[in-house]
Amino acid sequence: MSGPRRLSVPRRVTVVANEEGRPAEVDGTSIDAVRESWLVEDRWWTDRPLHRRYWEVVTTAGRDEVVFHDLVSGRWWRQR
Amino acid sequence: MGMVVCVLLPRFQLTVAAGGRAELLRVPAALAPDVGSGGPKEMVGEVSLAAEAFGVHPGMRLGEALARCPRLTLVPPDPAGVAEAWERLLVRLESIGAAVEPERPGLVCFDARGLLKLYGARVVGDRERIERVISAARRALGVPARYGVAPSRFAAVAAATRARTRRPVIVTGGRQEASAFLAELPVALLRARPALAELPEALERLGIRTLGELVALSPDALADRLGAAGLLARELAGGGDGALRPRPASEFLRESLVLPEAASGMQLERALGLLIDRLLARHERRGRTVRAVALSAVLVEQGGTWRRQAVFREALADPLRMRLVLGPHLSLMPAPAQELRLAVESFGPPASDQRALLEDPAAARTARLREAIRQARAAAGSEAALRVLEVDPDSRFPERRAVLTPFE
Repeated sequence: MSGPRRLSVPRRVTVVANEEGRPAEVDGTSIDAVRESWLVEDRWWTDRPLHRRYWEVVTTAGRDEVVFHDLVSGRWWRQR
Repeated sequence: MGMVVCVLLPRFQLTVAAGGRAELLRVPAALAPDVGSGGPKEMVGEVSLAAEAFGVHPGMRLGEALARCPRLTLVPPDPAGVAEAWERLLVRLESIGAAVEPERPGLVCFDARGLLKLYGARVVGDRERIERVISAARRALGVPARYGVAPSRFAAVAAATRARTRRPVIVTGGRQEASAFLAELPVALLRARPALAELPEALERLGIRTLGELVALSPDALADRLGAAGLLARELAGGGDGALRPRPASEFLRESLVLPEAASGMQLERALGLLIDRLLARHERRGRTVRAVALSAVLVEQGGTWRRQAVFREALADPLRMRLVLGPHLSLMPAPAQELRLAVESFGPPASDQRALLEDPAAARTARLREAIRQARAAAGSEAALRVLEVDPDSRFPERRAVLTPFE
């Protein structure tokens, strides 16, 4: 092992969201319910600010997922 | 040259598995393939005399055996019962002073030279002395068996196959006499040696039917055609063989628990814990650690028996660690058990790492943990043991909270 390895690193995920930005599908599985949503902003004083909208959702397959929308790049990520 | 006594109990495994159903031995019967042992699948084990008359022999594929004898009765194997009965007989032989080398259940050899003066001091002549030793063995065993005596192990086994229960076959003298005795016997006897199991068929195809004909061939020609196996076969047929390697004399220490109801899962684990405690409490253990144990069970609904051997990474006497090692074996049991047994297979040195009366000191725990990490890394690489190190546990970004680092 070369050095310390980060845990809970975000991984790319395909999310279909509605006009309001609310997830409707995660990796092709429909969303049954949104449990919680929160906004995280950090490093706004640097050149690489972090703006994320987190969604904790339950899919129709019964999985509890935490995904976030990177408001800077526009991409979706999965994170535990 | 040695004086090897071979004790042969024909169809020992089948007899034990048949248990009280002695009538099974009079009809065509065979030991069913033992699927739980991990051995060769779908092959019958020992067969009864009546089944042999139909051309069925041990090691034959089940389909072929049933084709040859449609009325063949299959007897479920009883590995635990066989191991236990065999161990009991070996201990009885050891009780007369014999250093035994068991080949397989039902076949054991020992060197009689050390026993000749003990049992034959009052008689003259090798033959009479050896008969006294056989009498002592017969009294100790208490079950009918065939005895063969010869200067080499192979010749002794061959002699035992030719013997009757009350009439041992004794070949005295040296290598030359052993070779002369073997000369008329068929090459099929070589099948008893696992390394030579395939050889008799090849020899018979070449027209070599007896061991005498085999010895008459030149070693060069045999090595050329059959390789090392051919040379070994010639050596055996010529009255030679390796020295006996007797097992260290052992003790039979076992605990068993009859379960009031068919048990599995949690109940079995509790029963195992109880057996371990009982075994460790036996005064015969005399403070020694345990190196290997055999866990066995009698399964419900005449499902036969089940047996697993477990060798500990280091000899120990700690019930907790024994339970950790043996617990997972219970889940491999194919059916609920009605009786659980635990037997010591071999002891280690006297315990110096007994469970402490008070809590283990931290240093000892750390040393044990370091040793476990070292072993895990040796087996699975440097990343086998890592530690989760909290870097910023309150961060709002999960990927910043913790990292994986090598465990130091």
